[in-house]
Amino acid sequence: MVVVQVIVGGLLLGAVYALFSSGLTLIWGMMNFINFAHGEFVMLGMYVALLVVLWAGGGPAVFGIAAALALFTLGVGIYAALIRHVLRGPMLAQILSSFGLALLLRYTAFWIFSANFVSLPQTSLAGTLNIGGIFLPIAQLVAGVAAVTLTIGLHLLLTRTTIGSRLLAVAEDRTAAMLMGIRPDRMQALAWGLSAGAAGVAGALLATAYPWSPSVGETFGLVAFVVVALGGFGSVLGSLYAGLIVGLIQAVSAFWLGAIYKDIVVYGLFVALLWLRPQGLMGKA
Amino acid sequence: MLLEAKSVAKAFGNFWAVSGADLAVEEGEIIGLIGPNGAGKSTFFNCLAGETMPTSGRIAFNGQDVTRASPEARARAGIGRTFQVPTTFEDMSVLHNVMVGAFLRHPHRGDALDHARRIVALTGLRPEQRARSLGTPGRKRLEIARVLATDPRLLLLDESLAGLTPTELHEAIALVRRIHEMGVTIVIVEHIMEVIMTLTKRVLVFNQGHVIASGTPEAVVRDEAVIEAYLGRAHRRHQES
Amino acid sequence: MSSTPGPGLTLARVRGTVGWGLFAAALLLYPIVFADAFYRDIGVTFLLAAISASAWNILGGYAGQVSVGHSMFFGLGAYPPLLLYTLFGWSPLVGVPLGILLSIALAMAIGMPTFRLTGHYFSMATIAVAELIRIFVSTWAFVGGAIGLQGPATARGWWDVTFRSELPYYYLFLAVLALVLAVTAVIERRRFGFYLRAIKASERAARSLGVPVRQTKMKALVLSATFTSVAGSLYALKTGFIDPDSGFGILVSVQMVIVAALGGAGMLFGPLLGALILIPLQTATNTWFGGSGSGLTYILYGGIIVLIARFEPGGLFELWHRLAPRRWRGGDAA
Repeated sequence: MVVVQVIVGGLLLGAVYALFSSGLTLIWGMMNFINFAHGEFVMLGMYVALLVVLWAGGGPAVFGIAAALALFTLGVGIYAALIRHVLRGPMLAQILSSFGLALLLRYTAFWIFSANFVSLPQTSLAGTLNIGGIFLPIAQLVAGVAAVTLTIGLHLLLTRTTIGSRLLAVAEDRTAAMLMGIRPDRMQALAWGLSAGAAGVAGALLATAYPWSPSVGETFGLVAFVVVALGGFGSVLGSLYAGLIVGLIQAVSAFWLGAIYKDIVVYGLFVALLWLRPQGLMGKA
Repeated sequence: MLLEAKSVAKAFGNFWAVSGADLAVEEGEIIGLIGPNGAGKSTFFNCLAGETMPTSGRIAFNGQDVTRASPEARARAGIGRTFQVPTTFEDMSVLHNVMVGAFLRHPHRGDALDHARRIVALTGLRPEQRARSLGTPGRKRLEIARVLATDPRLLLLDESLAGLTPTELHEAIALVRRIHEMGVTIVIVEHIMEVIMTLTKRVLVFNQGHVIASGTPEAVVRDEAVIEAYLGRAHRRHQES
Repeated sequence: MSSTPGPGLTLARVRGTVGWGLFAAALLLYPIVFADAFYRDIGVTFLLAAISASAWNILGGYAGQVSVGHSMFFGLGAYPPLLLYTLFGWSPLVGVPLGILLSIALAMAIGMPTFRLTGHYFSMATIAVAELIRIFVSTWAFVGGAIGLQGPATARGWWDVTFRSELPYYYLFLAVLALVLAVTAVIERRRFGFYLRAIKASERAARSLGVPVRQTKMKALVLSATFTSVAGSLYALKTGFIDPDSGFGILVSVQMVIVAALGGAGMLFGPLLGALILIPLQTATNTWFGGSGSGLTYILYGGIIVLIARFEPGGLFELWHRLAPRRWRGGDAA
């Protein structure tokens, strides 16, 4: 039964991976831009959740929404101030910009919050459910289910709504979209907002179940790369499948090989993917 | 036969951009490829240039099969091309841009420098000017100079004369003619009829993925199928009445 | 625009040569004039940073292939010397060529799959592989695990490269820096250098001109990896200690990138300029703010990188080129 528990736990965490990775894949698919700072967005979402709980005493719904809005705003702001300008420039500038941003966000968080691990004080999601011998912390269960819902929601937003089709139009062919009256700049800003917002919510969900420190951004960033590489650059649905798979692989590796090896397996998977199947499970190369 | 393309076809998913095109170019010719937008001429051109691999068909250059050869390999074999949207090396000078081309046949810096200087003089550009500071006509001329430095036997020009003022156009046409006189075979994709009429001796017209007419510019322009392709059936009926 | 001055003496050339001559003399005399161990140590740190960044520059600056995990080569150069000493008591120098071989092998393993794809794949691969190696090494007791390895405490002879004074290290590092810069300068003038810059500017155009893009990138990566490995070895020789973070950590990679990018990526002396500014700056913030200073340093680094990316990707050299009056710059020497 322990194995089943490990598997379920891995899938639930993987769902959250899927959520924040879908943000990364959106940006990649739309603008051919790799956001090295994406993990930091997740990390910041976690701290927003903490701050909301400490200052306003809100519950998960409150800090979840707060994280989404705060990071959405940050995403749009970053696009306007930085990304918009470097997109037109050389690759060096693009990679430097998101890499530098990652450092800036990460070490500012270290500066403000210190390197100590923190966790949320008891929320309404405390406790564990016992379903047929499997012990599931309620927080993890809620986080996983919410993450799957939101990821599918994002996918539906992109594929079934007008605004979604506008976003995809800009991703497909910027000039054609312009000729159709769509403003690429606005759509790209929106994409950045959605991307960061998804990461923020994912962070808030993670905060309910796991302790963290500013160092988690780096790890989540790399996990996002793995998920996006596996699921295909540009495919939100691919991120969903891939996220679940990565979560599963990570949990099983930790169980079989020991916790210290789980990261090696995941990064190793990434490198193997680059070697063997760079277009991932479902995406275009 | 310098360049021979047989039954070249290219599909993107279910869409056949090119569905069986033939082309035979003798050394020393200057051929035009025309056709309405979406007719497949650019895709065909890209197959010739090695940017896209044809789904089926065969392309031979100087007797060698180059159907699946990379752009680098084609350049080495003697096929050069320009780009529709100039892709000059912005932060390098005109001279250095051309030197990159020159290095293909002249691995040593000194030789490459001399060769590049001669080519730059031919095109009237200023060697020290940074590519970034050139206007569009300058960039187009630089692209031509740069590929010329690779000593191509066949030059594929991709709408290189678009967007020029009448004066610039005449200069560009003169340049292309000079290059042709130097012994380079030229295939030119173009929309501008003046270029086609004055420069080319033979024209292929593309529509919906294949060649619908071929002949001298004068003949092709009067061809009914060609008129229908550009102007539509209504105009053809109008012609008949 | 000015035309290229012909061969022979011009005022700009004389001024340039005298300027560089003075700078070289300053570098040579620095540790003698500033004989205090503190200043000499800064000098050594500066040289090491310049070497690493110059090595990175060959691939990242000239060819535009941005590696954000270059520490993997640094660590691969740092570990073998100390490992062979720890295991067999051999001179650490023996490990230096081994480090180079390992780095070249890794370079090829990474380059082969990723250079087929767009540039982003390469960058992502570098960060993942560096992290992978770091974590792996930290779990492997044979190479010291999380604790790391140490070198000779006292020298048994010159071959242990363990000196009490900073002076020999300084001149050794200076010699290596001169070597890296010389190699880069030669590359710059020859076909290889032109091809690197063409690839950076437009791979598509480069291909159409016959540039063998994949092979050229691979050569640049191998060269860059080799020199980075040497830098790692030098670090291990000097500090006599290495652990997963100081060898393979992301901050090692970051420093290479920022030093090169700040001064001017793709320019011969860009990394030198970047190191000249950043190393004293880093030392100052560490001294003033004590332990917490290093956190501030990286906030500063992050901010500087973002500013460079946003406003002047060509770095300070490029900025100077744009602002300085033409007569101070001299002609665009072909």
